[in-house]
Amino acid sequence: MNLLIILLMFTAFWLTRTTDLRNAVTVFLVQSAMVAAACLVVGAETGETHFFLAALLTLVIKAVLIPYALYRIVGRLRREREEESLLSPNYSSLAAAFAVVLAYGFIDRALPGVISRDALAAAMSLILIGLQIIIIRHQAVLQIVGLSTLENGLYLVSLSVTKGLPLIIEFGILLDVLIAVVVLVILTYRLKISWLSTDTSLLQKLKG
Amino acid sequence: MIYGALAMPICAAVLTLTAATRSSVKQINMLGGLSTSFILFGLVYSVQAGGILAAPPLYVDSLSCLLLVVIAVLNLTAFLFSASYMEKELHEGPGSLGALKRYYVLLNTFAFTMISVLVVENLGLMWVCVEATTLASALLVAFHFNRAGIEAAWKYVMVCTVGICLALFGTILLYYAQVSAGPGAGEALSWLALRDISSRLDPGMLKLAFACIIVGYGTKVGLAPMHTWLPDAHSQAPSPVSGLLSGALLSCALYVVMRNLVIVKGAVGAEFIQPMLMGLGLFSVMVAVPFLLVQHDIKRLLAYSSVEHMGMITLALGIGTPLAVYGALFHIFNHAVAKSALFYLAGHLSQEYRTRHILRIRGVVANMPFGGAAFVLFALAITGVPPFGVFASKFMIAWAAFAGGYKLAGAVLLTLLAAVFAGMVYYCFQMAFSKPAGPVHQGKLGKPAMAAVLLSAAIVITSGLYLPEPFKLVLEQAAAVISGG
Repeated sequence: MNLLIILLMFTAFWLTRTTDLRNAVTVFLVQSAMVAAACLVVGAETGETHFFLAALLTLVIKAVLIPYALYRIVGRLRREREEESLLSPNYSSLAAAFAVVLAYGFIDRALPGVISRDALAAAMSLILIGLQIIIIRHQAVLQIVGLSTLENGLYLVSLSVTKGLPLIIEFGILLDVLIAVVVLVILTYRLKISWLSTDTSLLQKLKG
Repeated sequence: MIYGALAMPICAAVLTLTAATRSSVKQINMLGGLSTSFILFGLVYSVQAGGILAAPPLYVDSLSCLLLVVIAVLNLTAFLFSASYMEKELHEGPGSLGALKRYYVLLNTFAFTMISVLVVENLGLMWVCVEATTLASALLVAFHFNRAGIEAAWKYVMVCTVGICLALFGTILLYYAQVSAGPGAGEALSWLALRDISSRLDPGMLKLAFACIIVGYGTKVGLAPMHTWLPDAHSQAPSPVSGLLSGALLSCALYVVMRNLVIVKGAVGAEFIQPMLMGLGLFSVMVAVPFLLVQHDIKRLLAYSSVEHMGMITLALGIGTPLAVYGALFHIFNHAVAKSALFYLAGHLSQEYRTRHILRIRGVVANMPFGGAAFVLFALAITGVPPFGVFASKFMIAWAAFAGGYKLAGAVLLTLLAAVFAGMVYYCFQMAFSKPAGPVHQGKLGKPAMAAVLLSAAIVITSGLYLPEPFKLVLEQAAAVISGG
């Protein structure tokens, strides 16, 4: 479990450094697979079958279907890459490190003495880093990856705090995440058609 | 009955897919909208006659009933208005049948997701349904796939999904509190179970959870400062959808806030919640006012007015006295009916004048007597002129603020409402009574659309003068659910 947590943090940091769309999707795929693995580990510890089902669902939706949809759209977006982010990769990694400190601080103050302190802190960092990616990256696909990272973080929170939510709710959430990505991919595709770019910093027409 | 209400929109969506011509699509959906609303009214009636319906995971009590009435009315008017509106919006031609089908399938799905928010009992499932409403309506906002529409939809999905993720975090914390409460805590995240054991839940944890939940769902309600998506999405969506977004969707989000409110109130008391809700509510009204006073876009004007009304309702929920809660619920109903009708009419105007720019819409009453008169009527109604229903509920909220001892909040609210009245009436009268700039071809409202507008007008006028006994009972019982009686 500890190894998984370290690796997960590593993928999150990697996401803050990558500006290539295809790489970002690959990193996200690896990250989702690790979240599914974490679910399996919890399942092996408690010996409940419900975790194996949840892990399988996570794997299918987050590590297969969502990356597949993203790879497809990235294939159509040649010559799109992140330029002129709000922060350079170095600074955004620094911000991510700050997010980790923040996460530990938050956990220790809000939930002192919780059993799975490290897992929870990692989950919180994933949430904060996902949010950070949405804020500082302008490329539509990177924002989608950021959003999905955020969702992965939330999933880890539920896994580490309450050993997951009831299966039907988890299934509903996963379905929502999948549909959200599909809707966003459709919008990205349309962005490319009507704005000739998927840089969301162009979206500034509607004001006031 | 509940299953019927959920199945009807899906049936209509499937039938729409099989339809072959534009007129058959239209007929199927008018019929579908009519029967969905009919079933919803039947459901409300059966709950009122036979008591709470509970068939896990579904659950309908008076609070859901009130919101179901809102959805039933708005669903009916939206489908009726769509029949006329979409005819003009999509001209005959290749691809128009496909677009019409896409519109109606999405509209039915949207109605389905909103109904499911109201009939599920589990707070986790409620979250799933709320997120589903965002996704179903996002593609409706971007329906024309023009630049502005895509921009609005992108911001809508991004802001609302991030916001609602925060609400999920809060819900997980709530679950943690439930698990920590020890044995006998009941089924996971069940609203009934949580309500019954709310005094045993850890107050510190619930405070944190509620902060996350109010900011998260507050994004969806359109409370400032998380309201940024709202004017964009409302102004870009096709008008019947704008009406549904403003009247029905925001109300559904408020409903989820109210459900969570009951639990948190039981655990940590009202002192913690009150300043938060009142502050957010008053701030929303405050933020909306300057945008209302300098606005060029007729639909954005209405959208900011929605922010203001949602702020007012949140303020009333924060005050929390029985009168305030009653007023808040009554206001949800009145606002939904009046605002949706205004959005429909604004859509009609912008179709006829081919612009949403307020200064370019001139002489509405002269050009279209019926539409113009209705527009003036609803504009007066929404700004709180007696004898309309909105006045009655606004008056209740203001009264409750003073009676509850929040004199400052009440005074600020009334001042802001006066400013809103001045701004909205100024712009609407300018559009309605100025000299027509040039000949506009006689814009006629289709028969179904006219029926929708007349129905809304009848409701807004009656609710100001006289409340039918059964409806009053629903309101009272719904208020009791929130105040814990």
